[in-house]
Amino acid sequence: MRNPNSTTQKSEFAIEVRDLTKSYGKTQALRGIDLGVRQGEIFGFLGPNGAGKTTTIRCLLDMIRPDAGSIRIFGINPQLDPVAVQMLAGYLPGEVQYFENMTAEHQLRFYADMRNGHADWKYVQKLAERLSLNMKQAIKNQSKGNKQKIGVIQALMHHPKLLLLDEPTSGLDPLMQQEVLAMLREANTAGATIFFSSHIMSEVESLAERVAIIRVGEIVETAETSILTGCSIRRVTVRLKCSVNIQRLENLPGVVVLPGSDETSFTLQVTGDMEQVVKVLGDYPILDLETEHPSLEETFLSYYQK
Amino acid sequence: MKRFWTTFRYTFRWFRGQILGWGLGIAALGLLIVAFYDVFGERQADFMKMIESYPPEFLAFFGTDPSGVVSPEGYLGMYAFSFLPIIIGFFAVLAGSNLIAGDEERGRLDLVIAHPVGRTAFFLGRLIAFVGATISILFIGWLGFCVLLNNSSLGITWTEMALPFISSFTQALIYGALALLLSMLLPTRNLASIISGLVMVLGYVLSSMASLNENLEAIAKLFPYTYFQGSEAFTNLNLAWLFTLLGISILMVLLSWWRFVRRDIRLSGEGSFHLHLPFKTQHKAA
Repeated sequence: MRNPNSTTQKSEFAIEVRDLTKSYGKTQALRGIDLGVRQGEIFGFLGPNGAGKTTTIRCLLDMIRPDAGSIRIFGINPQLDPVAVQMLAGYLPGEVQYFENMTAEHQLRFYADMRNGHADWKYVQKLAERLSLNMKQAIKNQSKGNKQKIGVIQALMHHPKLLLLDEPTSGLDPLMQQEVLAMLREANTAGATIFFSSHIMSEVESLAERVAIIRVGEIVETAETSILTGCSIRRVTVRLKCSVNIQRLENLPGVVVLPGSDETSFTLQVTGDMEQVVKVLGDYPILDLETEHPSLEETFLSYYQK
Repeated sequence: MKRFWTTFRYTFRWFRGQILGWGLGIAALGLLIVAFYDVFGERQADFMKMIESYPPEFLAFFGTDPSGVVSPEGYLGMYAFSFLPIIIGFFAVLAGSNLIAGDEERGRLDLVIAHPVGRTAFFLGRLIAFVGATISILFIGWLGFCVLLNNSSLGITWTEMALPFISSFTQALIYGALALLLSMLLPTRNLASIISGLVMVLGYVLSSMASLNENLEAIAKLFPYTYFQGSEAFTNLNLAWLFTLLGISILMVLLSWWRFVRRDIRLSGEGSFHLHLPFKTQHKAA
């Protein structure tokens, strides 16, 4: 029988969060979050500013204490054994700040020392080279993008089992964004579980296997990225030889006729099954029919417009 | 142990500039004061005339009366030891309030504490580095006071000269501990510095004025400065006072640690820079 008080429990999940709540004074930042991130998975955490992404990540590392709920990282309770969790994890904060007078190299050596030297320095140099980071330059003279690169390197430097990244490509140019995403994929191939927050949809779409969407402290959807982008909503543009009774289409469940439509040329937004729409359209001579899968961004926005 | 050591090593290294700055400053003051004692002796009559012309309220701040100033103890008390705890106290207040809250306000603590250090080891590492820095400053200062002692007619040994510095150490410790505790409880580090600094300066003013106004004695006793021994330490170092100040400092440090290991690491923008009450209900560990 599972003992809820034990520090370590075997689990298929790298991260298990149950009913997590956190308030800052009168502001309720997290309202009962449930999350399960499987070992070896890349999991995207989507939400606008202030939705609770950073608060969730910081709870996972025991930097802030939840008011209620439970967290397990590889079966370990971070509140009871934070050091064990921190040894397994690499963390990149949303707004990374350093000791400005240090050089990038000194800063990274400092972080390596904080890990009792458990860092792969050859790997650090390789990453710095790939990111074109000048390790000898003082941090105060580094650009925002370069500071972000230092953050990425410190998160990866000890080959962590779990990466907790708060907007990992923030401040990077598109080329470097791609390089960082490639590094993360490599880390994942090597066995790391990746949990990252972002509001860059293309990034989440290209990297994450599963996505959770958070809105005002609540998870509103958790699904595989492909399902979320591929199946939930379609846009259908139709051109007919003759007029159609638009009302017939509007009456179908999950169908919205988008503005700018008329009786011979119209665009529908279809949520769920297409069968009924195809049946109705089958009664009319069709000139052209085009279906479009929405981007994750559109799916994301649809949750916020609800 | 290794986790504590890493934090201590880096923090102490960051204190190097301050150790040299404050330590050499006090040492230079000591060199000058000791060197000038013999000149002072030669012109004793002129000095006496000048001192007698000062209002007693002014002299009270230097902890002496005109008749005592001609003695080595009175001279050192007036020109050095009366304000030594204030000098080292300023260092202690700034360093104590900055020890953890400084990095927290600058957003650096978030990433540092995400490394496998442990809050207790981190706290201890930083605290011991602060204590080490304070001792180093006072040690350099003490050397400055001692270098010319053998060539001076003060007639004070190196060991005797160490006694006011021991008393200053407990003063620094209590102001540093107060600033650290307040930085754990109050919304900003600056507020912690200001309140601790006020306690220090107010204690100095009240203790000094209490020699002129007996009514102030009771209030002055509430402030640490009253228990500082300058030249008096040469002959009668009050160990009870020393250990009481040390005990109160340890108590404040323990409260700071207790608060630090239990509270959220603050991050600008999360709305968490609020007043932290020491006995707020503890979060549940699920």
